Amino acid sequence: MNFWEMITGSDMTKEMKSFELRVKELPADYQAAWEEINVNLWPHSNFTGRNLMPILDGVLGLLEETAAEGQRVQEVLGVDIKGFCSALVGEEGAASYRDKWRKQLNDNVAKKLGK
Amino acid sequence: MLKGVLEGCVLEIINRGETYGYEITRRLNALGFTDVVEGTVYTILVRLEKNNLVDTEKKPSDMGPPRKFFVLNDAGREELRKFWEKWAFLSSKMNELKERER
Amino acid sequence: MRIREMIEGRKEWRAHVARVKALPRDYQIVYKEIQKYLFKVGPVQLTEGTELLSGIVDLFEEGAAMGKDVLEVTGRDVAAFCDDLIKDSKTYADLYQESVNQEVHKAIQKVSKKTK
Repeated sequence: MNFWEMITGSDMTKEMKSFELRVKELPADYQAAWEEINVNLWPHSNFTGRNLMPILDGVLGLLEETAAEGQRVQEVLGVDIKGFCSALVGEEGAASYRDKWRKQLNDNVAKKLGK
Repeated sequence: MLKGVLEGCVLEIINRGETYGYEITRRLNALGFTDVVEGTVYTILVRLEKNNLVDTEKKPSDMGPPRKFFVLNDAGREELRKFWEKWAFLSSKMNELKERER
Repeated sequence: MRIREMIEGRKEWRAHVARVKALPRDYQIVYKEIQKYLFKVGPVQLTEGTELLSGIVDLFEEGAAMGKDVLEVTGRDVAAFCDDLIKDSKTYADLYQESVNQEVHKAIQKVSKKTK
């Protein structure tokens, strides 16, 4: 059973459908990353997947913003999607990821402002 | 430590009369807290508002977008009173310590 | 579309994006990086209405109008500014962990009842 089947038939379907529509707008490498994120997140899901919805929504927002900027998906997520996902749900290693994200934010700002 | 003190400073400045973020920052800078930036004050103001210590009102500005003005409400004045109480306690203890060290 | 819907529907979101685009370039850069960071960290505030994101734009508009440099407004450590902003807010990861703990707790109760 995969994530999609797991939530099919639940009241989450509508929300997942709206996610799907948004995902279709993304470049191919982003779509692939989205799939991988889902595969990695679904073992974290409770039966309905409800507890994952806001987290997925945040990730999708991130993908949309960065795709619009023309960034490559690897730059955004790094190579370790699994690690990224456990950080998203606050599992082990989340704190070091948060540090990484902090650094990423400040580095990007410095780089893009050219300072 | 400095964060808590800054919050007290911001409360006190608002208590002197209706004001807005950038003006508060300027006054803190003028006081000698030169490394305080508007962003820092902003995060404090967000917190004061969330904790219902201030009333706010948006007013048009002659320069740029409308500004959010802040005044203390009763809860805010009470918070400020507690701050000065804590401050008085802390500074008396600090002085005591300094005297004793001599 | 949840975060966007929460910013009171698509129309409001579009208006929000338009405001961001009207900011000077360096402000836009910093705003976008902040937004990306917040999407990753996932503070609950993000969906609790317009305050968090539009508040940052308010702050930036005023700073820009005064001709300030964006880093003069946020401070050099933009991440610290963000963390300060969401200090009191739980993240979705926190809520997720709580929901998991509850389920584990329920499961344990079930098992211990059976064994009694």
